[in-house]
Amino acid sequence: MADLAGVNGQREQFRVVGQRNLPGKLSYALATGVAKFGIDYVLPDMLHAKFLRSPYANARVKSVDIAKAKDIPGVADIVTWEDEDIKALNNFGESNDSRRPWLDNIADQEGAEVAVIVVAESEDICEEALRLLDVEWEVLPHVVNLLEGRKEDAPVIRPQVRDAPMFGAPSAGGPTNPPKRGNVAYANMTSGDMDAGFAAADHIIEYDLYMPAFASLLPNPSGSVAWWFDDPYYSEGGKSLHIEGAVKDKNAISMMYRLPPEKTVQEGLFMGGKYCDWGRRKSQEITPLLAKRTGRPVRCVNTREEMFDVIMKQRYIHLKVGFTDDGLITAVDDFSIADGGAWGSSSFGNVGDMTLGPYNTLKCHNINQHMEIVDSNRYLMYISGQHCPFNWDSITVALHMIAEKLGKDPIDIARLNLHGPTSKDDPDPVPSFEACVKKGKDLMNWNWHPSGTKKLPDGRYHGMSFRYQMCPRHSFSSYSCKLEFRDGEVHMPTQGPLFGVYAVECNAMVVAEELGLEYDDVKIDFDYREPFTPLGGGSDGTTASAWAMKECANILKKQILEAAIEYAENPPMPGAVSPQPGPFKGLTADDLDIIGGRVVLKSDPSQGVPIREAAFTSELLAITDFDSQGVPVREAAQKNLFATFYGHPPLSLWATGEMGKRLDTMNTAYCEVAVDIEMGEVEILRFGVAADPGKVMRPISLESQIDQVMFFSQGCQLLEDFVFDERTGVKLNNNMIEYKKPCILDVPRVDREFLETRAGNAAYGANGISHSLANTHLVIIAIHNAIGVWVDPPATPDKILKALGKA
Amino acid sequence: MYSKELVRRQAADIAAAVPETLTQFRCSVCRGVFGSSAELQSHYAVEHPGAVPPAIIRLKLNGCLCEALIEPYWTLQRALQFRFGLTGAKHMCNRGACGSCTVIMDGRAVLACMTLAIECEGKEIQTVEGIAADTKWRPLVESYCRWDAMQCGYCTPGFLVSAKALLDKNPNPTEDECREALSGNICICGTYPRHATAILEAALKIAKGA
Ligand code: FES
Ligand code: FES
Repeated sequence: MADLAGVNGQREQFRVVGQRNLPGKLSYALATGVAKFGIDYVLPDMLHAKFLRSPYANARVKSVDIAKAKDIPGVADIVTWEDEDIKALNNFGESNDSRRPWLDNIADQEGAEVAVIVVAESEDICEEALRLLDVEWEVLPHVVNLLEGRKEDAPVIRPQVRDAPMFGAPSAGGPTNPPKRGNVAYANMTSGDMDAGFAAADHIIEYDLYMPAFASLLPNPSGSVAWWFDDPYYSEGGKSLHIEGAVKDKNAISMMYRLPPEKTVQEGLFMGGKYCDWGRRKSQEITPLLAKRTGRPVRCVNTREEMFDVIMKQRYIHLKVGFTDDGLITAVDDFSIADGGAWGSSSFGNVGDMTLGPYNTLKCHNINQHMEIVDSNRYLMYISGQHCPFNWDSITVALHMIAEKLGKDPIDIARLNLHGPTSKDDPDPVPSFEACVKKGKDLMNWNWHPSGTKKLPDGRYHGMSFRYQMCPRHSFSSYSCKLEFRDGEVHMPTQGPLFGVYAVECNAMVVAEELGLEYDDVKIDFDYREPFTPLGGGSDGTTASAWAMKECANILKKQILEAAIEYAENPPMPGAVSPQPGPFKGLTADDLDIIGGRVVLKSDPSQGVPIREAAFTSELLAITDFDSQGVPVREAAQKNLFATFYGHPPLSLWATGEMGKRLDTMNTAYCEVAVDIEMGEVEILRFGVAADPGKVMRPISLESQIDQVMFFSQGCQLLEDFVFDERTGVKLNNNMIEYKKPCILDVPRVDREFLETRAGNAAYGANGISHSLANTHLVIIAIHNAIGVWVDPPATPDKILKALGKA
Repeated sequence: MYSKELVRRQAADIAAAVPETLTQFRCSVCRGVFGSSAELQSHYAVEHPGAVPPAIIRLKLNGCLCEALIEPYWTLQRALQFRFGLTGAKHMCNRGACGSCTVIMDGRAVLACMTLAIECEGKEIQTVEGIAADTKWRPLVESYCRWDAMQCGYCTPGFLVSAKALLDKNPNPTEDECREALSGNICICGTYPRHATAILEAALKIAKGA
C-alpha cells in the first residue's frame, strides 16, 4: 500500500524532505504585515457596500421603500432582490437544498443578508442608509432548538424537499430514507444483522453524547474589492474584472459573471485560515456587480459579528452498544439529531458520517445509523466536519465505556475491536496502530486506571483518555503539475491564493529532493493563472499533491539529463561563450544523476557540471558583447525545459468507499487532566499524540497542524458553544469577547511522537494527518475518567459541579 | 517572490509612504476636493450641515511625521488602513479581544481597534511594518519565520508587535514572560507553542547584535 506506484516512492535517503526550520515561502510577507488579505485592500475612489441584515431569526421582507435612504448624500446605489441585475446572478455555492436566488427576501437566520444592498462613499453612510430603509418584515416562527424543531407540532420553517441529502445515499440493501417530515430529513444506513448482534452481546450499554456548535472563526473576516479595467491583452468582450479577496478560486467568480477566465484577475495570495470552510460569502461575490453599476471600485467586507460562522454542527447522539465479556463489540445502534442549519447549509459532517465513518474500522458488522437532520434558523454552515468528522467521538466514547464497565484498558478494547489492515474481516493486528500505541504509551507513561480512582498530591482527581483514528488518504482528484527549467533554474509555478497550510513548501521540498537540489534552489512562481495548486485536504492533500509533483520532478530530471547529453554531443561552435559540456558523450540518461546541484556520472559523481550549466544548445544567441580585440562575442543559448504531470496517487479511499475498511497509517491521541471537584475546574495537564503520517515531510507543519486540532478540541470541550436566545432566535455570543477561544495561557503542552511506517499511498508512503486528530470528546472522556460522571462539552466549572451534584 | 530581502524593502517602502502633509482636503460625503481644512469645514457647514466634518491628525508613524484627514469616530486601526496605507494592524475581532491590531504607541503596546485615532494626535506610533523595516528587529522576523510561528498568518503581525513591545522592556525574557506578554493575542490556527521559542531565539540574537 505504500507509494509503490510512483517514482522513488521507496527512497531511503532524504536530504531535504523531513528537514526542520525551512521558512515558509510566504512567511516573511505574513509576519511583517506586507501580506494583504481581502479585507485589507483600499483603492482610491473606492465605494463601500453593505447588506441589509435581518434582525429576526426567520423573516420575510414583504416590501422595502428605499426612497429616504437613497436621498442621503453619499449614497451611490441601492439594489434590491427585485432588481434584474441581482436576479441574473448565478448561485454556484455548495447547496444542500433546492437552489435559491442569489439574494432574495427571505432571511432564515439572524444577521442573514437579505433583500437590499447599499453602496455609498463610506461604510458609515451605508449604515445610515440601511437604518433609513423602510422595511416591512413578516416575522416567521423560528427553530433554534433542534429538540423542539424536530417535534411533529413544530412550525415548519422551510417547505422545500430534502429527501436525499448529499453524502447521504442509503446503503445498498439498507432501508430507504423516509420522506422529509416537518423540519426533519432522514439519513439511515444499516449493515449486518442488528438483532443477532445484540443477541450475541453479554452487555448492552446506552448513552447520550452532545456536540456543541463550534465556531471556527476564520481569522480574517471575509471581504472583497472589485473593479473593472481595460486589459490590453484581453480587450475583446469589454472590460476585465479585477477582484481581490474572492479567495478560493477566482474562476468561480468568472463563472458567476460569465467571463472567460482570462478576463478575471486576482493577484493576492493570502486567504487566511479556512479550516475546511470552502464557502464564499456574499461579500466576496457581489463587488463585481456593484463596481460595474457604479463605475468605481467597490469594497464589501463582513464584520466579525457578521462572520461568526460555525464549522461543527450541534448534534445530539444516542448510542446503544452491545459487547461481549471480552469487550468485543457485537452491535452498534447510533441515533443522532443533527443541525441542518439554515437554507443551503453544507451537509458535510452530517450524513457523510454514515459512510466514511470509524464504524468501518471495527470488526463488528452490525451497525445501524439513523440520523435526523433538522432544519434550523441557527446559522448557515458553509462546510462542516474539520473538527470532528465522521463520528469518531461515538466510537471513542464507546471504547472508553466498555473499558470502564469491564475494568480494562481502553487501548486493549480498541485493539480487540479494530479489524486488520486489509478489510473488516482481516483478523491481523494493524502494524501502524501497534506502533503508535507503543510510542504513545511511552510518551504518556500510560497506566490506565478506572474512573475516580486516582488522586494527585494536590487533591485533584486525575483522568486520562485515549483514542485512535486513521490518517485518511485524500487524493480525490488529479493535480496539474508543471515544472520549468528556465535559465538554469528550476521553477515551480503555482496558483495562489493559499491557505494557512504550508503545502507548497512540502511540494518544493519534494522537487528539491528528486532533483538533487536544495530547498531554496526551487523557485516558486506564484501566479494566479497557473493551474497547479497543492490545496485540498490539508496535509493529506499536501502529500497527495507532493506525490504528483514527485512524478513531475522526475520527468523534468530526465529531460535535464537528456539535454546535458545532447549538449555534450553537440557542443557550440568554437568561439562561443558557453560553459563546458559534461563528459556525457555517448551516454544515456540512465548513466547520469543530479547530486548536490550538479549533473554527474553515476559511476563517478566527481565528474559533472553544475545543473545551471548543463543544458545549453549549439545555437548561438545574437552578439552580446565584443572582446578586447573587438571580436563579437556570441553566447550559446540555454535550453529551457518544461515538464508536466497530471494525476494523483492511486487508491483514494474517500472516493472508493473504502475509508476505514483499509487501515494503513493510523494515529493516536491522549489526554491527561486534573479536575478540582471543589471548584469544578479542569486543567488539561497535557495532550499527547503518537501519529504515523507514513512519512514526515515537513515536520514543523505537521506539528503545527496537530497543535491546531488539539487546541480546537480543547476550545470546544472546555470553553466554546454557540448560544441562542430561544425566544427570539437571536445569537447571543457571536463576538470574540463572549465566545472565548483559548489563548496562549490556556493551552497545555502537546507532546508529539511521529512514526514513519511509509505505509501511505502518497509521496514516499505519506498520508498526511489532516482532520484525523480532531475530536470533541478526548477531554470529556478524561474528565469522566477522573470523576466518574459525564459532562457535556463544553465542560465549564458550573456543569462539572452540577454533574457532581454540587450545584 | 516575497523573499526576505524583498519583503523588508516592501515593509520599509510602505512605512515610508505615509502622507507627510495634506495638500488635498476631500469631502467624505460628496468627494469634493478643497485646498485647505478651512474650506472643507465651510463646505460641510453649507452642503452637509448634519454631517460631522473630518479632522486632521498628526502622528509620528514609524519615525515619519505625517498627517491625514480622518473621521473623528474612526479607530486607529481604521485610520492606519484607510489613510496611511498600513494594513499590518489587522482587523480580527474589532473589540479588543484578539490583539491582531496591536501597535506600539509611545512605547506601549495598544490595541488599534480600541483606540480612537483622533486621540492619537501627536503620538509616536510604531506598526509591524516599521518594526520589519528596522534592521535591529530582523532577528525577530527571521525567528518567527524559521519557527513557523504562523499558519494563515493573519494574527501574526499582532503577535510580532506584542513580542517587540516585550523585548523593548525586557530584552531577556523567560518563556513564561513571553507567554504572559502574548496573552492578549489570539491565534485561531493555534500556533501558540512556537511563539516563545521564536522570541527567545530572537532575543539572544538581538543581544549579540546579530
Ligand atoms: S482587532 Fe483589535 S483586538 Fe481584535
Ligand atoms: S496563524 Fe492563523 S490565526 Fe494565527
